[in-house]
Amino acid sequence: MYRIAHKTGQEVVQRYKYNPLISIHDLPLDCSDIWNAGVIRFYDKYLLLLTVETLEGSGCIYMAHSTDGYGFIIEPEPFMTASREEPFARYETYGIFDPRITQIDSKYYITYLAESEHGRRIGLAQTDDFETIERIQFISEPDTKSACLFTRSFEGNYAMLERPSAGDSIWISYSNDLIHWGSSKVILTPRGGFWDSHRVGAAGPPLEIEQGWLLIYYGEKDTSSGPLVRLGAAILDSNDPSCVLARSNIPILAPREKYERIGDVGNIVYSCGALLEEAGQVKIYYGASDSCICLGISSIEEIIQICRDGREQYKL
Amino acid sequence: MPGWSGAIQTMILKRRRDLLHRWEHNPIITYDNVPLQNNTVFNGTPVKFGDTYLLLLRVEGQQGYSFFCLARSEDGLNFNVDEQPCMLPAEDGPFALWEENGLEDPRITLIENWYYIMYTAASGYGHRIALARTADFEKFERIALVSGPGNKDGVLFPEKINGYYARLDRPIGNGVGSIWISYSPDLKNWGQSELIISPRPRYWDSTRIGASVPPIRTDCGWLEIYHGFKMTSSGPIYRIGTVMLDLENPAKVIGRCLNPVLSPREEYERVGDVRNVVFASGAIVEDDGEVKVYYGAADTSICVAIAHINELIESCFEENDSLIEDFCKTACPYRRNKEGE
Repeated sequence: MYRIAHKTGQEVVQRYKYNPLISIHDLPLDCSDIWNAGVIRFYDKYLLLLTVETLEGSGCIYMAHSTDGYGFIIEPEPFMTASREEPFARYETYGIFDPRITQIDSKYYITYLAESEHGRRIGLAQTDDFETIERIQFISEPDTKSACLFTRSFEGNYAMLERPSAGDSIWISYSNDLIHWGSSKVILTPRGGFWDSHRVGAAGPPLEIEQGWLLIYYGEKDTSSGPLVRLGAAILDSNDPSCVLARSNIPILAPREKYERIGDVGNIVYSCGALLEEAGQVKIYYGASDSCICLGISSIEEIIQICRDGREQYKL
Repeated sequence: MPGWSGAIQTMILKRRRDLLHRWEHNPIITYDNVPLQNNTVFNGTPVKFGDTYLLLLRVEGQQGYSFFCLARSEDGLNFNVDEQPCMLPAEDGPFALWEENGLEDPRITLIENWYYIMYTAASGYGHRIALARTADFEKFERIALVSGPGNKDGVLFPEKINGYYARLDRPIGNGVGSIWISYSPDLKNWGQSELIISPRPRYWDSTRIGASVPPIRTDCGWLEIYHGFKMTSSGPIYRIGTVMLDLENPAKVIGRCLNPVLSPREEYERVGDVRNVVFASGAIVEDDGEVKVYYGAADTSICVAIAHINELIESCFEENDSLIEDFCKTACPYRRNKEGE
């Protein structure tokens, strides 16, 4: 644990000493911003898929790889750019953003945000080797974002979390073919008077743990100078992930450091993925101020405890 | 400025009444005709059931939420409304949460002996599209909620397309309400969504559009009678338009009206809870090609307007008047400069 910096603030997630891991200066191109990154362990490597905003202002995805999860090397060429071919191109004219990676059996799926003048919708792509990538379909209508897949099916159905604009809540949907989706239900809503009073969305694919599914989510509160985005946690039922067993009353990570406060969009910590490591450690890769990628580390136990201490109506 | 006076003259000469002809005894149903305490009745969807015309009505109760009642008629013009509602918001079960604020805007589509009703379920979580069905208009069976929140105006195609059920709906993308198409293998799970029709700047349907009547199969394609509105400083003006979709691939638009086929003009369309609204939600195509379009007027009554199917088809293929085009080109400095480049 020598790599952990001293604890800043009250939150259980501790920052990696050498944060930020990746900033725009590390990229092989001039760009405006580096946003949120999806993460996966692929054989002996850690892979990050980074959202990069080009100088022109559109989004594309770069890959970074690492052997230890701390020091990353960024590939010189983009991993995925907005499609120029129909039927995808017309929905990706503003770019592609916020990839979240889910491994289901031996396949790797990427849910990403496609943005255009027609709104925001969820694209689904698949890869086996992280060298070539194939788009499958758009799996939502507009306007929705922050989608991720669960790592296994439920009674034969894949499950997805997303955050439709209407209501700014986290919804779950199911599908038996990954193309046609239904049985949608709201599972987590903003809470008036709390740190997540304005908007909530999944901050990466839920992690399967002994107690159910650990969902790390982002919550926004509106302030007079814009949104304040923090990370919180909830635990979903193992067999029925639409059922929230526990939810943190307090954030697990909040913007405190300069690199989280200052940037193109300040006061944001926002994640697209976390990893379960040995000995109950959780590594959360998060974007800060839409300007760099950072690493936060915590233990499953501490996060669960915070969820357990949450509102009484949820019982674990 | 050559062509200026000519174009204006043409515009005046071409001015005509709405393509849809109102029935002289409109409105056909008002809140007085509903034998229940209610605030208003509007947006009814018709179907021919045996020899009877049925209209499934959206009735808004005095408490403010809506539910459905049936009206019956021998001729499609003179209706009697049932004494009891036929579908109320679910009070328990999986639909209750989504119907807390009522049931809105039903549309009936007949597919293989089942009458499917796509309607909007309203709740604090937003509007969602829901699907129910009936065989006899006595027992109604809810099937599923078929969209996420922030979506409405769902209409089901009357047959499968390339093996899939298909629907039009109206999500909000980037703040704009447009018509999208989605497909389903089982009526419960939906996908392959595509944007097919957007609002048109400068036109009567410049702010928002949505599907209105379940698509009607014609020789030329799927005729969709839709609604569009333009925002004004005193609120929206809702009008009715037509669009033609390809039979094999209804995501492809092959024609779209330039002018609305019906606009609010009569007092019952101008005055009411939501003024300046004509909003179709179903039509009956008679054997002789007469189309009866049922529409809600000012969110306060149900009316009917009539046109021949061929007139409605032709309206999708109206061509831009070349004189008006010339006028735009010569009178608009921006366009003139652009073309001079």
